Amino acid sequence: MIRLQSIVKSYPIAKEQVNVLKGIDLTIRQGEFTAIMGPSGSGKSTLMNIIGCLDRPTSGKYLLHGERVSQLDENELARVRNRSIGFVFQQFQLLPRLNALKNVELPLIYAGKPKKEREELAIDALDKVGLSDRMNHLPNELSGGQKQRVAIARAIVNQPDLILADEPTGALDTKTSIQIMELFTMLNQEGTTIAVVTHENEVAEHAGRIVLVRDGILVQDDRTAVNKGEDAE
Amino acid sequence: MSVIENIKMALSSLRAHKMRSILTMLGIIIGVGSVIAVVAVGQGGEAMLKSQIVGEGNTIELFYMPSDEELQTSPDVMSPFTQEDLRAVESIPEVTQVVATSSEFGSVRYRENTLDSSITGINQAYLDVNELEVASGRNLLSADFLGGRRTAIVSASFQEELFDGKNPLGQVVYVHSQPVEIVGVLKKPTGMLAFGTNDMYLPWNTWRTVFATNDISQVTLQADNAEDLQKAGKKAAGMLNQMHHTEEAYQVMNMEEIAAGIGQVTRVMTIIIGSIAGVSLLVGGIGVMNIMLVSVTERTREIGVRMSLGATRGQILFQFLVESVTLTLIGGAVGIMLGGSAAAIVSYFAGWPALVSWPVIVGGLLFSMVIGVVFGILPANKASRLNPIESLRYE
Repeated sequence: MIRLQSIVKSYPIAKEQVNVLKGIDLTIRQGEFTAIMGPSGSGKSTLMNIIGCLDRPTSGKYLLHGERVSQLDENELARVRNRSIGFVFQQFQLLPRLNALKNVELPLIYAGKPKKEREELAIDALDKVGLSDRMNHLPNELSGGQKQRVAIARAIVNQPDLILADEPTGALDTKTSIQIMELFTMLNQEGTTIAVVTHENEVAEHAGRIVLVRDGILVQDDRTAVNKGEDAE
Repeated sequence: MSVIENIKMALSSLRAHKMRSILTMLGIIIGVGSVIAVVAVGQGGEAMLKSQIVGEGNTIELFYMPSDEELQTSPDVMSPFTQEDLRAVESIPEVTQVVATSSEFGSVRYRENTLDSSITGINQAYLDVNELEVASGRNLLSADFLGGRRTAIVSASFQEELFDGKNPLGQVVYVHSQPVEIVGVLKKPTGMLAFGTNDMYLPWNTWRTVFATNDISQVTLQADNAEDLQKAGKKAAGMLNQMHHTEEAYQVMNMEEIAAGIGQVTRVMTIIIGSIAGVSLLVGGIGVMNIMLVSVTERTREIGVRMSLGATRGQILFQFLVESVTLTLIGGAVGIMLGGSAAAIVSYFAGWPALVSWPVIVGGLLFSMVIGVVFGILPANKASRLNPIESLRYE
């Protein structure tokens, strides 16, 4: 489903081009649960931004569903983000003035869905993450775990093929982290492809595949499952 | 994403910072309000001046101004209007009334007293067009006009001077040695500048007998509205010139030209003062731009989130544009209300109508929208150009 071929990303820093990603080849199949690990500065966030269509590679080829995403213009990228990708962030990124339901409705607004359908889909999504009783609460009236569950509901509401989570448990305690990861596992079992960027082994343990990035290159791709020996830090 | 959705979103963002939104609107309110007030007062003043020229009764006077040549060639130039003229003018379809008067200044005798007074012969239409209010006795009636009865009404000042304040009703006075009976006394004119003059009004047929002449010195036309009046006046003048074989001896004042001239002057005044008021609107617009820029910076993360969820740059631009237009539109609406009220108060004390016309209201609202777009485009553009990745990390 996702196919990255020799992806290079460079940024101009002080008049010099610094390569953050130095030729990444990565294929993620439909239904996989992948953890992308690596130390800070390794380029894993940049990789995720490219996979998430928030950024475009300097060179290389990115195919999403066979579509050459690396060639799309900004409006088309926005459409891809809206239809095919659901984001979950470390800091939840809920809009503070909107209640849970309205936050979950946001992607549907940009998808052009009518109001009634939006509400139904958003309620369904909140139901799935077990928060249908909190839908009228504002983000600051919810706990961290609840906020992240609202964010997950927002990520799945448009039924994307891929959920991209960037350190989804980074701001949560251990117990809540486990609940969130179990939620991801459940969604994965239902067929959603999931990619989690993390540096925590406990989180990576939930994934069926661990990809390790270091200094802008892919150093390890372990499909056998849990990798306890390798210290990501 | 629909416009209504965007407006709702804009309103909720504006509500989130009530004080800031109100203060920003204040600039627009004062700007739009002062422009509306100036325009409304200006248009009211213009309307008042115009109505004073045309007069409330929708009447127009026919002038007889023969050229020197015409004075020498025509034999009947000294009698401007004849009975035939009157009948001809009456036949013009736009004319509703033709007022004919003839006036002489002469002495009136009662017993051993005499008084110099203006003596005016009027036709019945005169009473319909000019209000002669009788304080005692009765007004002139149809029978007086038709029969040429020797009856007259006099002004209050006439009564005081000739009758020494005694009851003149039923008394007979002599004009040109002809007896005339006083049947009514007019009300004293009111108002600061009104002062009493000695006036006597006779039915025109009576006047004709007394002064032994058929001449009518003044003809005034009345029509239903200003437009018909102008038409009727032109027709009448043309008709009379033709009947009397004159070029331009008979004329009407061209009210349209005079009104247009006055309109020009008041409009220029309105534009000048309005432009000065418009400067405050400009300042208000800059205030909107300023606050919207702050708002964009503050909501950088929101913009990043929206972009990551699939908002296009165009949608982000539109969202902020709608917000600034909503801000200026509400400010404009409040400004129109306040400006209209201010104009009403000014006009009340100045004594002329306040004209907040629909074009002014619609124009004011449209202009507020334009201000919103013009001063909102820069911040909205800035918002739409943000990098989503950096925006999501913005603290």
